[in-house]
Amino acid sequence: MKDIKINVNGKTHKLNIKEDERLVDTLRNRLGLTGVKEGCSEGECGACTVIMDGETVTSCTVLTFQAKGKEIITIEGINGGNKIHPIQQAFLDEGAVQCGFCTPGMILSAKVLLDKNPEPTREEARKAISGNLCRCTGYNKIVDAIIKASKYLKREGN
Amino acid sequence: MIKEGIGLGTMFYGTGYGNGFPDVSKAEAVLRADGKVAVHTGATEVGQGAKTAMTQIACEVLGLKVNDIILISEDTSNMPDSGTAAASRQTYNTGNAVKKTCEDLREKIKEEAKLKLNLNTDVGLKLKDGYVYVETLPEKSIALKDLAKDKSLKIKGSFTAQTTEMDPETGQGAPYWPYTFGACAVKVSVDTLTGEVNVLKAVFTQDVGRAINPSLVEGQMDGGFSMALGYALLEDINVDNGKIKNDSFTNYLIPTSLDMIDIDNILIEDPENTAPYGAKGVGEPVMIPVTPAILNAIYDAVKVRITEIPVTPSRVLKELNKSKK
Ligand code: FES
Ligand code: FES
Repeated sequence: MKDIKINVNGKTHKLNIKEDERLVDTLRNRLGLTGVKEGCSEGECGACTVIMDGETVTSCTVLTFQAKGKEIITIEGINGGNKIHPIQQAFLDEGAVQCGFCTPGMILSAKVLLDKNPEPTREEARKAISGNLCRCTGYNKIVDAIIKASKYLKREGN
Repeated sequence: MIKEGIGLGTMFYGTGYGNGFPDVSKAEAVLRADGKVAVHTGATEVGQGAKTAMTQIACEVLGLKVNDIILISEDTSNMPDSGTAAASRQTYNTGNAVKKTCEDLREKIKEEAKLKLNLNTDVGLKLKDGYVYVETLPEKSIALKDLAKDKSLKIKGSFTAQTTEMDPETGQGAPYWPYTFGACAVKVSVDTLTGEVNVLKAVFTQDVGRAINPSLVEGQMDGGFSMALGYALLEDINVDNGKIKNDSFTNYLIPTSLDMIDIDNILIEDPENTAPYGAKGVGEPVMIPVTPAILNAIYDAVKVRITEIPVTPSRVLKELNKSKK
């Protein structure tokens, strides 16, 4: 076992973890953040996507000790945990959610894109979510939602 | 060399279990003391939008807003059976059950209003925004919550689809009711050196009877197109000796956002007279015409008929080589 500190959704947690513990398990089982979904367990589907120091990672292929001292954002913390985030609102408004299993990962991938590139083209939006598989929507309404979210964020001025 | 081609696929598809199999959906509607209506029905939501569609139908019948309908569709101890969310049947079958049940509740509400308002008849009564009123004299009105103050009003209803068994000898008959129709046209490119096929453009039309929620129907069409694109070009479970070899996303490839394209979706609304507001099932039909359209487009591009899917690059090259000989 190993003692580490990680910052998740703005809060620092002191944890005693197993050496080979995966980040997805720490987040889901120790911290109760079940918005992190586990689909394939091999880095292919993107359902377990979280943001680590501003970049998306698949938390099933990250060991928790690798997250030591890093800042992690999950879907639960995307807007300080209280209000719905403009990207989430855009997903709702565009009908970009069907079964919802891919949605947390999609929204986090969209956030990293929009943080870096506030006015993406449809092609750039497609690229940004190409590591997130979705079986239901055919992606098009998700792309619509990302474009709409960029407008919402611009209006909000952030 | 890159060659382009255009292909078309068409289909028709029967809604529901069909072939004489009993296809029943049930619902209950209760006017509660707070003036809201609880609709209990077993329409399972799996992301297709059953809850939205059922709520919309109840709102339409009762003149209520979405927040005034409480839909109970997941607690099996508290709702009647409405069959499976399968066979593209929930909007048509359970939608009919919800509509019929809410219509009966509406009539019961009018009857109660007639008594409470001392009217001669319930003719010309209207329901809107939580009130029942006389259409020609709107001041004569009563709030739904005042009607249900002392006792809640409750109605049970069901809908059974008309399906008959086919003649087992001849295969003739009318096993399903109703049918949906669709057509899809695609433009593809085929790289004759690598065998790679790309879908470049698509126009997709679907007869939905009536789109209860157009955005949800488009979502089904996009999703169906994407599944059929994977079916046509990528997805191969590769069963060898009873064992699935492609058992992970590393080798069982489904379309990513980069494989999909923007589709020109066209909804055709030709209301079906036995359907709730004319709406027919759309879940499965939207997958059917796409794969044949892609195969026809490949034929148009390189004049080779491919009869096995998925059309992987190696399969394309094999067929191209055969045709050269
Ligand atoms: S569960 Fe991590 S990428 Fe699929
Ligand atoms: S909404 Fe079902 S997997 Fe994306």
